Amino acid sequence: MPQTLSTREANLFRTVIRHYEDKQYKRGLKAAEQILKKNPKHGDTMSMKALIMNAQGKTEEAFALAKDALTIDMKSHICWHVYGILYRTNKNFDEAIKAYKFALKLEPESVQIQRDLAVLQVQMRDYQGYVQSRFAMLKARPQVRQNWTALAIAYHLDGNLSQAENILTTYEKSVTSAPSKTDYENSEAVLYKNSIIAEVGDIERALTHLESDAKNSLDRLAVMELRARYLAELGRKEEAAKAYRALVERNSERPEYYKRLVDVLDIPEGDEAVLKAVYDEYAAKNPRCDAAKRLPLDFLTGDNFRAAAKAYLNLMFDKGVPSTFANLKHLYSDQYKRDIMPILAEEYLEERKSNQVANGDSSKGAGAALYFLAQHYNYHMSRDLAKASSYVDKAVELDPKNTDFHMTRARIYKHQDDTQKASEAMDHARSLDTRDRYINSKAAKYQLRNNENEKALATMGLFTRAETVGGPLADLIDMQCIWFLTEDGEAWQRRGNVGMALKRLHTIFNIFDIWQEDQFDFHSFSLRKGQVRAYIDLIRWEDQLRDHPFYFRAALDAVKLYIEMYDKPQGANGVNGIDGKTTNGEDAAEKKKAAKKAKKEAQKAEREAAEKAAKQDPNKPSAQKTKDVEDTKKKDDDPTGLRLAGTTDPLADAMKFLGHMLQFSPKNIEGQIAGFEVFIRKKKYLQALRCLKAAMTLDKDHPTVQEQITKLQKALDPILDTLPPKVQEVISLEFTPAVAKA
Amino acid sequence: TTGADVEDEMEPVAKSAEDRKAAAALSKLDTHGDDDAAAPARGVDQEAVLNAMNALGGGAKGADDKKKQEALKKVKVDAADVALLVDELELSKAKATEMLKAHDGDAVKALRAFVAPAF
Amino acid sequence: MDIRLLRPSDIPLIQHANLENLPENYFLKYYLYHALSWPQLSYVAVDVSRPPKTPYDYPKIVGYVLAKMDEEPTDGVQHGHITSLSVMRTHRKLGIAEKLMRQSQLAMVETFGAHYVSLHVRVSNAAAIHLYRDTLKFQTEKTELKYYADGEDAFCMKLDLQPIREQVREAIAAEKAAAGG
Repeated sequence: MPQTLSTREANLFRTVIRHYEDKQYKRGLKAAEQILKKNPKHGDTMSMKALIMNAQGKTEEAFALAKDALTIDMKSHICWHVYGILYRTNKNFDEAIKAYKFALKLEPESVQIQRDLAVLQVQMRDYQGYVQSRFAMLKARPQVRQNWTALAIAYHLDGNLSQAENILTTYEKSVTSAPSKTDYENSEAVLYKNSIIAEVGDIERALTHLESDAKNSLDRLAVMELRARYLAELGRKEEAAKAYRALVERNSERPEYYKRLVDVLDIPEGDEAVLKAVYDEYAAKNPRCDAAKRLPLDFLTGDNFRAAAKAYLNLMFDKGVPSTFANLKHLYSDQYKRDIMPILAEEYLEERKSNQVANGDSSKGAGAALYFLAQHYNYHMSRDLAKASSYVDKAVELDPKNTDFHMTRARIYKHQDDTQKASEAMDHARSLDTRDRYINSKAAKYQLRNNENEKALATMGLFTRAETVGGPLADLIDMQCIWFLTEDGEAWQRRGNVGMALKRLHTIFNIFDIWQEDQFDFHSFSLRKGQVRAYIDLIRWEDQLRDHPFYFRAALDAVKLYIEMYDKPQGANGVNGIDGKTTNGEDAAEKKKAAKKAKKEAQKAEREAAEKAAKQDPNKPSAQKTKDVEDTKKKDDDPTGLRLAGTTDPLADAMKFLGHMLQFSPKNIEGQIAGFEVFIRKKKYLQALRCLKAAMTLDKDHPTVQEQITKLQKALDPILDTLPPKVQEVISLEFTPAVAKA
Repeated sequence: TTGADVEDEMEPVAKSAEDRKAAAALSKLDTHGDDDAAAPARGVDQEAVLNAMNALGGGAKGADDKKKQEALKKVKVDAADVALLVDELELSKAKATEMLKAHDGDAVKALRAFVAPAF
Repeated sequence: MDIRLLRPSDIPLIQHANLENLPENYFLKYYLYHALSWPQLSYVAVDVSRPPKTPYDYPKIVGYVLAKMDEEPTDGVQHGHITSLSVMRTHRKLGIAEKLMRQSQLAMVETFGAHYVSLHVRVSNAAAIHLYRDTLKFQTEKTELKYYADGEDAFCMKLDLQPIREQVREAIAAEKAAAGG
């Protein structure tokens, strides 16, 4: 039976809660223990103690204690609520939802439990559950606008647009006074409602609503953009043109505005002169505008193109704009345009010969043209590396201290597959401008491409914060620097150090987990801020989070590595994963050495960090102490990935990465190809067939896909009749000879 | 409480003003404040609100959804087929059952749908 | 190149650009905090001429401005603040930073009624100081000692948004007149 507390202890219990909320864990614990001394079987206090221990990182003890508390007091909503929170913080969301629901049954009026449940439901995308929770919350407090908006959001996310709109309208009708002009929440709610009307597809009504209800909206750009779009979609071209002109005036670097303006102007098909005149007007009005000058190059042809391109290039070279090539390379799918660009740059050089370096700035004039030509011949669609080299040499001759020129030289070496020279050249470029992190990052990247992991980390260390415990790597991980982790992992992989490679790839996986978790606070934060449309955008994006190429690249690396590990089981020491044939001619012994060295380095870094921490003045601010506590909590017990590399079931580990790849990037053929290789090794033929069919749909002539067709056939031939009859039937229907030959 | 205790429990202090700003902003994201105190800024007609609330119903699913779910519930599923899907496709039992139900309890139909490219 | 509002889906590549270019870095969540608190204020410059490699490519960010409103202004005056501004080295000299800033400033006034905008800049960052002071006409308010993690001082700069406030007022008045007549 649960014990009841005396008044004094009941007061003490309230301070436990307060200390917990203020993150004063030691004090909270002390108070809890005081209560438990007299009432050792007080479930609620035991639960609060568990909650505090959980916050201190003592997860297992916390769970054990919370369970004890529950057995003592099954009827306490506090015990159930705490149990749910423990599950929640340890990411077992399904169990957390169950516990919250129990708690809520015991205490239906609790605002806190209801809110915790609702947040978890939307986090887990249980939209029907979320609708019910938000409905209950609205019922409890209908006078708060937030609760109406929240219910509308719940219906919206659940796909019930008409009900979402209905809710917003109902609230509007119940309001007795007009909103003030600076009422941001109202302004946003109106635009949110407008976006729902448009999403239903009723553009006419959306426009009417926008022009009546949203005309005083504080988000003027959104109103201007929506109005222009609605007018265009409704075929009210003249007004739409006016609306788009206003948008171009506001932001003349937005290609979409020009495109939509031109769309509603009814310009005769192929009339380049009229089309160009639209852009010329804005180029003349706004001399600093780039888009109006550059965009006509997309549609102009023949001599018109030549003249416009020449004028544009001359201007860019005179100004010394380094992105000139980057901003024009999309034109190269047109052969005429691709061929004429170097001719125009040469003409420029010819014309400006007398005046080589303008005002001592080599990035302008001739230098700019040479730089452009070097990039042109370095680009894969117009590649001639010998020419690229000679242009970059000329540029360097003009100014040996120009960082950009040396950077391009390094890129040319990279395309010549000389990673050593590329790394040296990029590092030289870095040395010419040591205050610029961009060139520093590039130098580190090129070192990694040349498998110089240690050097690269040192280079990165020039810009990471010196005081981070664990050195530059810890800072880069903290700051979620995906590109470095990916390149570092790939370099370790090339060096045969499977442990370090896996370590980096798993770190990237974990960063994506953090990014997914990051939305958690915003479910209630955004409601308080009233920023509904941005919140909806967030939810939609988080739903697709792992389709990001950052994830895909790391995941594909990991899956491929695990497949290799499966095919070539590692030695008894488990250190060295793959041996033999692979890259760079390093043999197995060398790789073992590399792995050993890496392990030593990691240990050294750890030792140094520990020493550094020990040297801290013990009388210095407590921040350091608290931080140390945190650090022990976070301490990595497998810093060199030995345990990861020692896996006994690499295919199961591969699944962790593969599942998301196939789910979120099904149209990426590399993922389907890798998936096939995993499933055929697992003898999961239907899943292999699914990957194969997807790959065939994407590109049936892909050589690897063709190989995989044969591979599957060969695998199935001897065992087909041993498979379950229904699987046989599916294979005979879906993997017919005709399919295989297609 | 001793002074040392208090010191122990101070929040970690970020190293620069720049970092402190970011840390402070992020640490405040999940503070709920007192929602009750968020009194309506504008006049709300309580009665109108209550009437509207009552007209909304219980936040339950629409009739169409209900019908669909009822129909799905009625589909009979063979336990052997569930086991087959669980094994071949490495799914949970619940997911396998759901897949079978969506294909009239026909395992071959469900598996063929699984194998076909979804795009 | 395309200058437009920041979207949540841009954030990984904004963070990437920040990490490549600047020594002051933030968690992804801090970018989210900006995007979800003041979604009108942050802008990006996108390289639109990259041919996509997969159907899942995200627009490549070559510049961004991450901006906010001061939530508890000590002087009681509504004002904006630039948290971070950066343009890739490869995309300089096109005025991208200036264009990003101007879009952000306009929205600060329109949406949140800002009276001025403030920012911090490293005292050694001559290029950035030139942009703020000479091109955008910011004034140096004071020097904050050891503002940055490595111990460097910061100039605290301010720009009065009064001219934009008037411009916005006139635009709204003109619209009203047009609608009325």
